Amino acid sequence: MPTFTYDGKTIPFEPGETIIKAAYRQGIEIPHYCWHPGLSAPANCRMCLVEIAPAAGQRAMMLDVLEWDASLNDYRPRQKPKLQPACQIPAAEGMQVKGDSSDNVKEARKGVQEFLLLNHPVDCPICDQSGECKLQDYWLEHGQYQKRMRDEPIHKPKAVRFGPSIVYDGERCVMCTRCIRFMDEVAKDPVLDMRERGNLNEIFVAPGRELTGHYTFMTEHVCPVGALTTVDFRFKARVWFLRTAKTVCQGCATGCNAHLDYDPRYNKVYRYRPRDNEQVNAYWMCDEGMLSYKRAHEDRVVDPYVKGSVSAMKKALAEAKSYFEAVPGETIAVVLSAQHSLEDNWALRELAGAYLGTRAIYATGLPEGYHDTILIHEDKNPNTRGVLELAPGVRPFSSLLDDIEAGRVTHVIALGGETPADASAELGPRAKNALERLQALVTIAAHDGLLARAAHVLLPAASWAEASGTYVNAKGIHQVTEKAIEPQGVSEPGWKLVADVGQALGYDTSWTKLKQVRARLTSAPTVPDAAAVSPSRPQVTP
Amino acid sequence: MATATFPKKPPSPNNAYVVAHVEPTPATQVYLPEIFKGLAVAMKHFFRNTKEMVRNERPDPVTESIAKGITTISYPEQKRPYPERFRGLHRLTQRDDGSPRCVACLCCSTACPAQCIFIEAGEYPEGDPRRGYERYPVKFVIDELRCIFCGYCVEACPCDAIRMDTGLHAVPYDSRDQFIYRKDLLLAQASRDGSHLTANPRHEPGDETHPGVTREHMTH
Repeated sequence: MPTFTYDGKTIPFEPGETIIKAAYRQGIEIPHYCWHPGLSAPANCRMCLVEIAPAAGQRAMMLDVLEWDASLNDYRPRQKPKLQPACQIPAAEGMQVKGDSSDNVKEARKGVQEFLLLNHPVDCPICDQSGECKLQDYWLEHGQYQKRMRDEPIHKPKAVRFGPSIVYDGERCVMCTRCIRFMDEVAKDPVLDMRERGNLNEIFVAPGRELTGHYTFMTEHVCPVGALTTVDFRFKARVWFLRTAKTVCQGCATGCNAHLDYDPRYNKVYRYRPRDNEQVNAYWMCDEGMLSYKRAHEDRVVDPYVKGSVSAMKKALAEAKSYFEAVPGETIAVVLSAQHSLEDNWALRELAGAYLGTRAIYATGLPEGYHDTILIHEDKNPNTRGVLELAPGVRPFSSLLDDIEAGRVTHVIALGGETPADASAELGPRAKNALERLQALVTIAAHDGLLARAAHVLLPAASWAEASGTYVNAKGIHQVTEKAIEPQGVSEPGWKLVADVGQALGYDTSWTKLKQVRARLTSAPTVPDAAAVSPSRPQVTP
Repeated sequence: MATATFPKKPPSPNNAYVVAHVEPTPATQVYLPEIFKGLAVAMKHFFRNTKEMVRNERPDPVTESIAKGITTISYPEQKRPYPERFRGLHRLTQRDDGSPRCVACLCCSTACPAQCIFIEAGEYPEGDPRRGYERYPVKFVIDELRCIFCGYCVEACPCDAIRMDTGLHAVPYDSRDQFIYRKDLLLAQASRDGSHLTANPRHEPGDETHPGVTREHMTH
């Protein structure tokens, strides 16, 4: 691999890569506003200017400048090397690039910073970006001056509604055009553009249009300052109180890598942020996914229920035991859930195969929905592949209904409340009637749904935000989520509840730690990082 | 065996030395002259106090501690004035229309070492001219029992919205919940000169002084 040096550090690059991208991949950040690894490089913020030594035998490009000399009390001519934007210059073999080590670059950065802040209102107390704002960060790093402009700053429209989800503040905008380029290049819907000139520049929406679609939240995410804010997160929290857990979006089978931002003081989840992973979602997430963090608190099952009324865990387990006394194994069915993690499903399959001796394994999940060619998958379950890997012969939910109606299945232990029949008008009543015919339905669910509502005994499982779990996306990549908030109510991880149910039924379901579950789930070591790909498949015990 | 004294007497410091040793003189040995000296001091104070009380001329309570004369005041009818920078109970400053200047940025509760400030931010209701521009505190609670009166919240406030210039010190209440100061109470507190505003005027959206949007066509 060819290399160049940046501030004396050797950086390998692939031919054709720009300086900033090669440095970014090595974890070296050249300050920038308008460059984004997933977008084109317009070089209009001038923050990433670097000094590049001329090639051998070439003269350096120089600029004639007049510099104020206090001792002469006059200007004197001086020459300065001409700086170049690192986001535009392709790296070349042996190139010597100077960033922090060059005084000219430092001066330029300070100048750019001052220029960008000339008309920028110091709205930080109100602005939702404060705490994660590039202007703040770079001012501390490269600025640290007092404002010199004494004129009234330019005033632009504030609080402009771009669409149902995004609000724009013209005065805070630094015209990096990232949002415009995102809508053009990634969302393929060129609805944003820039108008006016110079310091009257502002972003606007195409006349007659609103900023709508499935990728509006990303415009806010790429905005390096507080110009674009989402209606959903606006004024809700301050980012320095939030803690972050690496997680995987539960919205569909794409399994986008995300950061889940939560406030540990209130045990509340506030937002998703996409996490870079070239193999899965690059740098993006869809709107539905960005909003699906709400599922950590909405429609949750947080208490055990016995026949629809709140109960205690011990009582609910004793109740579950009473249903299954002297029941032959072949009438018991287990229902795995594509909404739950691999560990939860493994535990239930283990209970079914090794202890109950049942062969009837079914799967539920949400029905298919909208999909596109960018990120959104038609399968709305995060772990369908995982369920199929665990139980290759798994039968769909509709055949469970058939078997119940035929009387082949009378006792069910189910995982996950959601079924494909939840929202469907034709399948819903049928499923409801079928589930009511069951003699026993024990459901271990994190979210509400038909299976949760029809359950004789309902046990509260922890959602993906409250327990670490493995999810297998549509590409077959095993991804591990981190635990974010503490379990709500008395909910516990699903695999633990399965073990409790097993023990209540009189079996020695002995797994009590996630480590044990993972060790038995796969022969290979568990994937420590969600971004890593595990080629190993969980071994299915016949 | 000697009985141990409790509490244990600390060892005498080995670097101690006698500062002054007054030899007893016949004058002190006789005892009576010293008695009369002491009585004279007491009587001097008594007569001066009585004279000042009758003439109703109290010395300046600020300088009285270094001035000659009495060193007591009749608290709480008389109070020593607190110095200019005394940090008293908090108040929330108001804008001209009586709404809080606070924009619920949570800088004060972030800076608070005692973690005694709780704020819940919210958007101005529909129809308010500040809607969309600013946030406001839906709830603003200070637990004055936890507060250590360090003034960091005032330092941190970027909007001059919280101040400690009421000149009041914490009042002894008879139940703990009375120390929980809420937004309406904090807004009702006035500064020492009786004002609710701050000395820092500000642009308001829709103000006469606000130049408005610079370009001509306003439609967006």
